[in-house]
Amino acid sequence: MKEFMMIFIGADYTAMGLSPEEMQSRMGKWFAWNDKMEKAGILRGGNALTPDVRRIQGPSRTVTDMTSAELKEIVGGYYIIEVADREAVEEVAQDFPDFDLGGTVEIREIMVFDQ
Amino acid sequence: MEPQLIDHLFRHHYGRMVSVLTRIFGLAHLETIEDAVQDTFLKATVSWKNKPPENPQAWLTAAAKNRVLDIFRKLKADRKRVPDLGGGMEVIAINELFLDNEIQDSQLRMIFAACHPVLAPRERIAFALRTVSGFSNKEIASALLTKEDTIRKRLNRARKLIQEKDVRFSIPMGAELPERLESVLEVLYLIFNEGFHSNQSELLVREELCGEAMRLGQMLLTHSLTRTPNAYALFSLMCFHAARLKSKTNADGEIVDLRHQDRSMWHFPLIRMGHDTMEKAVETEDYSRYHFEAAIAAEHLKARSFEATRWEKILMWCERLNHVAPGVITSLQLAVVLLQCERWEEALELLESIDPKALEQRSYLYFGSLAEYHLKTGNSTLAIDCLDEALETVQNEAEKRYLLQKKKTLQG
Repeated sequence: MKEFMMIFIGADYTAMGLSPEEMQSRMGKWFAWNDKMEKAGILRGGNALTPDVRRIQGPSRTVTDMTSAELKEIVGGYYIIEVADREAVEEVAQDFPDFDLGGTVEIREIMVFDQ
Repeated sequence: MEPQLIDHLFRHHYGRMVSVLTRIFGLAHLETIEDAVQDTFLKATVSWKNKPPENPQAWLTAAAKNRVLDIFRKLKADRKRVPDLGGGMEVIAINELFLDNEIQDSQLRMIFAACHPVLAPRERIAFALRTVSGFSNKEIASALLTKEDTIRKRLNRARKLIQEKDVRFSIPMGAELPERLESVLEVLYLIFNEGFHSNQSELLVREELCGEAMRLGQMLLTHSLTRTPNAYALFSLMCFHAARLKSKTNADGEIVDLRHQDRSMWHFPLIRMGHDTMEKAVETEDYSRYHFEAAIAAEHLKARSFEATRWEKILMWCERLNHVAPGVITSLQLAVVLLQCERWEEALELLESIDPKALEQRSYLYFGSLAEYHLKTGNSTLAIDCLDEALETVQNEAEKRYLLQKKKTLQG
């Protein structure tokens, strides 16, 4: 078994003007997905991230806040799951609720160091 | 365990919180308040994705309560007139406003504000759906089959008028109450009819509008001041109609007329609720149009088949309805019933007294009825002419198909 991180990019609800009803229906899908992974016993962790982004860059450690134009591309959260292989993660990612809002799931294997 | 959110929790909670915060800050700050409440839902969606709270409703209420200070600061920064939170409005008093019965009270105030006579009927509907029911502009537009921009304009105008005319955020008292309550009932009736008679083919949207009107109606029935015979009668009428809603369209979204509806699809718990409510509506003898419309709807529901309908009874109720609420629509309804009673001459006389232009988009119903008269009195050529006229004015696709089908049968 291997651990993978599913990173969710884009589909930040803030600027989309979703109605309360739409937000609730989104929540329902997230809950269902979460529940499905937990029942399958593959969920190892995860978090949602707020859209407030501050960056520190370069040797002079320049601090910048992200502009609203870039917000479409930010990471909104991640899950870590433990499954057999990359194909199995792809299968799990099918249920990501926000593909229709332009969201992306990036799949990354967590590196294990052999001694 | 997957936590279950109550249906429409967010939407209804939006309405509740906007009402409570408006009671604190006043109708003048509605936009700031709506933005703040919208923001609590955004926060909820972010923080609930991984770990939903044990009690979502309590979480949302607490979040809204926490926004009180933020709104206060924002209004102050914008140099707006704000209530004195430190002195007159104690923190305890604010906490109390978030208790269930006070929330309900705030929502009733919002309903009265939304249905205030300074607003045009269309503005009242849009404003009520937005601030009481938590629909977004887009959802209102799609429910009422108009453009989002039109709704936005209507809401802006409504907000402006409410401010200019200094509409009070209160439940009217004394002599003002009956008149203002009539306006509220009318708005609920219109919202319900938008759903029930809509050209909207999506059953879901229609159910939402009808359901919303009924939810607001029920709210009126919980308060001693607004629990009047007319309010009961309107609620009863909505129950009777709603019981038939599902049978009004078939699987292909086509309209099914009363004659061809599958009566086994009618929802009996709603019919029972309608009858129970009606008993309270007739405790006094002062009957409104809602009483008679409910009586007509109930009579239709009693018939086991279309053929078993007691048209003489319906005719009696229609005549009484026509007495309290005369108008072209009522006249047309009466003519249709006269045709069913085979009182051809009276039906024709009544039809001839109606100017189809006054019926606007519904003039096809007039020509449809006239076609029915000619058909029943053995003149199929004239009947076909009338159907052609009906087809020229009909806009709804499902009704159009229905008329075309009828014409085809006549041409044999």
